[in-house]
Amino acid sequence: MSETTTPTATPEYVFLPKDYKSDLKPIWCPGCGDFSVVQAIYRALAAIGRAPHETAFISGIGCSSRIPGYTTAYGFNSVHGRSLPIAQGIKLANPDLLVLAAGGDGDGFSIGGGHVPHLVRRNMDITYIVMDNQIYGLTKGQLSPTSPKGRMTCTSKYGSLEEPVNPLQYVLGYGANFVAQGSAADLIGMTAIIEEAIRFPGFAFVNIQSPCVTYGEESQQIKGLKAITEPLAAIGHDSSDRMKAMEIAQYYGQKFHTGVLYRNPNPPPTYESQVKERQAALSQGALPKEQILDLFIKR
Amino acid sequence: MRKDLVFGMAGSGGDGIVSAGESLLNAAAAEGYHGMMTKSFGSQIRGGESSCRVRISTEHLLNPGGDLDVAVALNWEDFLKFGAELPVSGSTVVIYEAATKVEPENIPLLGVTPLQVIAVPISEMAKATAGTERAKNTVVLGLIAGWFGIGREAVLAGFRKKLAKKGEDVLAANERAFNEGIKFAEEHPLKAPMTIALSKGAVSGKLMTDGNDMCAAAAIFAGCQFFSGYPITPSTEIMQFFGEHVWKYGGAMLQAEDEIAGIGAAIGASFAGKKAMTATSGPGLSLKTEMMGLASIAELPLVIVDVQRGGPSTGMPTKPEQSDLFAAAFSAHGDVVRPILAPTCVADTFRITVEAFNLAEEFQTPVIILSDQEISQRKETLDPIDTSQFKIVNRLRASATDLQDYNRFKITESGISPISIPGMLGGTYLASGIEHNEDGSPTASGDVHQRMNEKRIRKFEPLHNRRDLFSIEGNPTAPLALVAWGSIAGVCSEAVSIAREEGLNVKLLVPYLVYPIAEGVYREFFASVQRGLVVEQSHLGQFYRLLRMYVDLPKGVESMARSGANPFRPSEIVVVLHRLLAELQHSQAGKLQPQE
Repeated sequence: MSETTTPTATPEYVFLPKDYKSDLKPIWCPGCGDFSVVQAIYRALAAIGRAPHETAFISGIGCSSRIPGYTTAYGFNSVHGRSLPIAQGIKLANPDLLVLAAGGDGDGFSIGGGHVPHLVRRNMDITYIVMDNQIYGLTKGQLSPTSPKGRMTCTSKYGSLEEPVNPLQYVLGYGANFVAQGSAADLIGMTAIIEEAIRFPGFAFVNIQSPCVTYGEESQQIKGLKAITEPLAAIGHDSSDRMKAMEIAQYYGQKFHTGVLYRNPNPPPTYESQVKERQAALSQGALPKEQILDLFIKR
Repeated sequence: MRKDLVFGMAGSGGDGIVSAGESLLNAAAAEGYHGMMTKSFGSQIRGGESSCRVRISTEHLLNPGGDLDVAVALNWEDFLKFGAELPVSGSTVVIYEAATKVEPENIPLLGVTPLQVIAVPISEMAKATAGTERAKNTVVLGLIAGWFGIGREAVLAGFRKKLAKKGEDVLAANERAFNEGIKFAEEHPLKAPMTIALSKGAVSGKLMTDGNDMCAAAAIFAGCQFFSGYPITPSTEIMQFFGEHVWKYGGAMLQAEDEIAGIGAAIGASFAGKKAMTATSGPGLSLKTEMMGLASIAELPLVIVDVQRGGPSTGMPTKPEQSDLFAAAFSAHGDVVRPILAPTCVADTFRITVEAFNLAEEFQTPVIILSDQEISQRKETLDPIDTSQFKIVNRLRASATDLQDYNRFKITESGISPISIPGMLGGTYLASGIEHNEDGSPTASGDVHQRMNEKRIRKFEPLHNRRDLFSIEGNPTAPLALVAWGSIAGVCSEAVSIAREEGLNVKLLVPYLVYPIAEGVYREFFASVQRGLVVEQSHLGQFYRLLRMYVDLPKGVESMARSGANPFRPSEIVVVLHRLLAELQHSQAGKLQPQE
């Protein structure tokens, strides 16, 4: 389906993280975890080495959804909760692009929550990074879908009455082939996870605990998170074990597991590769489009 | 000899009445007639009432006709559910199932004495000849062939094709049932014979299709390589067509998880450089509105088809209405202009769809095609369309010079900015729903917002001069006028022909470009008009009201509006035209009185 003639990176040229950094100054508060996330994305993209103009980066609305504008990729800062449908249209229209989607926990698991399972089951080669901070920051501190039960915010004056969404368990439950979690406090670890997610041939989900320094609670700041961090490598987790990954995912909110939770050792074919096969098979001997009305001739 | 016959048939879901209609239409087409068929159902998936209206003519058809010439009721309960959709008059021949045990003089049609009423033991004849009541529809086809002279040969030829796989026995049984119908008709001749004139002969290369398939085929012809949508009556066939054919042209179809994702993926595909389309109906249009605004501010080409049905909310999914006009023109918040195009029949759905892609590409904008349930699901015989006469427009791509210092939203004289496509070196930018500077970076500046709004609206100015997107019939200086859009235009066109034959000096304006309102075209059209009607299938008279927002209509121009489902009849419009003429003459006579 691709018709664009893309100049590829020359073999002599090695991309550096700064090649992916735009001139736009982030609107984020000083100390926001998202600064570190965007750094990790620059580094991961440089390590992979696809040119910025061959990369499409799509987001919804929220503090974190400003992120595509801080890169030199083709960006799309769309509307609240809708990064994933747009990303899928882009991937299907031009499967050769490296497609990233990103946003916050409200964007991905509240208003846009209905799109996640469908991208998972379609298994398009798109990497989805959620900057999870358990709060709505852009609208100044309301309850988010991942806020713990009992959390007091300006819209939950007496404490929330509902259980939070567990993003890891949800996405694993939907059948994702790659699920990982990182910490904004660990730039190196996060970079490695994002790079692996992008390289994974198929849909990959990365949840990043990226604290909100303005509206976030003490327990969700870097310090609080460090106290409950348990790197998956340290507990000897086998990332090919899906059931074990489900078990570990239960502790979301109580313990903070970092690393690759699940990676399917035998990834199934992507949606777009099957589309290509179908296009190749069906285009043979098809009527030219100028003659498509011949389908309606009464014989 | 008649040049035109309108059949209306109703029964319960399993009676195969729609399939009989299709056989009749196919047979008529094979014999060289022009034909048109509309279907109407209750909302039950299986069973429930179903009906079809088949109009057959020796001439090109503009609409599915008014009062029925022939009404077929397999049972009265279902027939009556269609009310004014199947209007019986004093010139209708009514054929009904004798097993209903209703006497011909007691048929439950109040206030009307049909031309002739005939009870036929249809199910009995089916059982006797084919061994099953399921052949009732075949008996009906035989009756029609016998009494009205349509399809004697061609219906059987059609059966041979259609039933080939079912074996000789089934075919023979159907032939017996069909012949039994003919025999009954011959043994019970009509009091006043009503046969159709011979056609001008079969033309090879004739097409037969409905509005939804035509729309999808036209889109592929226009270069559309991506469709995503969500199933919704009565637009789903567009997605089905893409799902079958688009792959052959290097494209893809995505059945999305909801209406919002349907338009979202199409916007994504357009951003990535492909011509893209989504299709829906009323409730889906409501759901897509935020994304329509996004496509407008991100200046991405996109075609959205809204096959209108009765609203609001779920409304009447299986019936036509023209009540989505306000939603199409004004939904999505903010100051937005979004072109709306409307086909008036299956044939011009081709041209309108190609035009929609051309406008979307030229102006980098979402364009709405407002079709309706009638056009989308009615089958028409069509003359071949020469596709080589259609121009295909592609979006203005950023040139090498543009890319040296690229500003995606550059404010140009035309308001149109060269667009880059992911993969183009030097063309990277941020597309966004947030207000942006010329380079795409977000802004909250009131001055920039003012300039960008001005650019995004200024770019549509050339649309005000697209006179080819309007048609005018009749005498251009007539004092009497009709204005109608969409499927109602065909009814008005026939009304104007009748009225002109009756000596009325009347003209008709049909806008294919429904919005933005090309004020100059209307001002010019109304210059000679003293009395007129804006005819539409919307209780509020949405088009009449929209026109009044932009154009000072002459005082004598009225709204003739009704809710959906019940069709307008050309004859009732002619009656109103006569009234308007009488009023006009009266007022002029008044003016000519000598002043004391």
